[in-house]
Amino acid sequence: MRARLGFRIFLFSVLAPCWVGTVSAQQGKTVYEKSCALCHGAGVAGAPKFGNSADWAPRISRGAAALYTSALNGTPKGMPPRGGNAELKDADVKAAVDYMMAAAAASPKPAAAAAKPPAPAAEKPAPVGKPAAAAAPAAAAASVAAAQPAAQVNAFNRLMRPASRQNPPPTEDGIHDPKNDGTHQLQAPRSAYEGLPRASAGNRVNWVAALEEKRITPRWDRADPKAAGLVLDFNIVREVKGSMPDVVYPHKQHTEWLDCSNCHPAIFIPQKGANQISMASILLGEKCGVCHGKVAFPVSECRLCHSKKKDLAGSASATGARP
Amino acid sequence: MRNRNPGSEALRAAACAAVCAVLLALPAGAPRAEYGDVVINNHSDKAGMRPVVFPHWFHRIRFSCKACHADLGFQFRAGGNDINMVKIIDGQFCGACHNGEIAWAIENCNLCHSAPPGTPTQVHESTLQRMNK
Repeated sequence: MRARLGFRIFLFSVLAPCWVGTVSAQQGKTVYEKSCALCHGAGVAGAPKFGNSADWAPRISRGAAALYTSALNGTPKGMPPRGGNAELKDADVKAAVDYMMAAAAASPKPAAAAAKPPAPAAEKPAPVGKPAAAAAPAAAAASVAAAQPAAQVNAFNRLMRPASRQNPPPTEDGIHDPKNDGTHQLQAPRSAYEGLPRASAGNRVNWVAALEEKRITPRWDRADPKAAGLVLDFNIVREVKGSMPDVVYPHKQHTEWLDCSNCHPAIFIPQKGANQISMASILLGEKCGVCHGKVAFPVSECRLCHSKKKDLAGSASATGARP
Repeated sequence: MRNRNPGSEALRAAACAAVCAVLLALPAGAPRAEYGDVVINNHSDKAGMRPVVFPHWFHRIRFSCKACHADLGFQFRAGGNDINMVKIIDGQFCGACHNGEIAWAIENCNLCHSAPPGTPTQVHESTLQRMNK
């Protein structure tokens, strides 16, 4: 009886850690796939790549506790706290770290030949663990390219900037120096644009609508919040060559922002027919291009100016081309 | 279950955005500042200061174009105004507002002088800049 109890205790003490270990490994795998694989799967932005012993060895050598701390609190290099998923419990994060450490330890060393492919390769769509990849630096670079998930390579609008990359904060915009302390005090454009009507180009804000809807109230006079300008509501239609719709130039929207002297007479002679305007000159930053293509909506927005449909029937009958 | 604090959602969103940004990186490291951000480097590099970044978007929320381009004589050309700190202290150009009354005063050097050293004068994302790439 006593011996049997002793055996049971023995059995439990041997099996329980195995069971717990399996559960934690399973939990680690789940957490990894949900919250970590996005970066660690492909080694994005310097993240140690899953199953890559060369990436992980120096980190593992500093001890698991250091890795837990980095994973829980984030690192200046770009690791977000808890992998960016604040709902993860400490145990989840640690389990995921354990899982990644185990995978790194289990993966073959660079020198070892392809006796067996590394375990994680089977789970991934892209061939991450090419056996010979680690042999030569050139081949390693190729594997980095190959490691990009196929979905990204053939993504839609490959050359377009996705919404997530629009209006970045000053520290990430490439124009401000992140090492400058003042940069960190500057307002992030997205916070300013909240609630403003959107547009598909430029700042992605429809400034004219924002003003019309009084979402913004820019001062007409820098020192007098009550001063108001003289708005001139007077459209000018410019007939254009070719098949593009004619241009309607609204004085109204322009005089809500600008003074007459801003455009006349230096840029536009205030006389009908006195101004030669072409898209070439606009693209080169002249005429309308003094503002449009720099700060006012860009030249990609053809139809905002070319907005008056030509009377094709009339013009066709005038030339006698009508059947 | 950890308490959700208001920052955690934002942090998560920011992290996801950062990840997507990295995954979908176009030309790596290309500046992607706001349309109309002006870098002015007439004198800064020579004077050992960071070049100035002028955010059009920030100012146009608060002032009409006229307030600067008519009243203060700012020309419509990046680098086309010979601005220096003496003029600003005398209340010209930026100094008409950045005087501690309408806007913060000039002791906040690094709020304007904030571009990486060596950044050339430019209107970011302007048609000309895009065509010259």
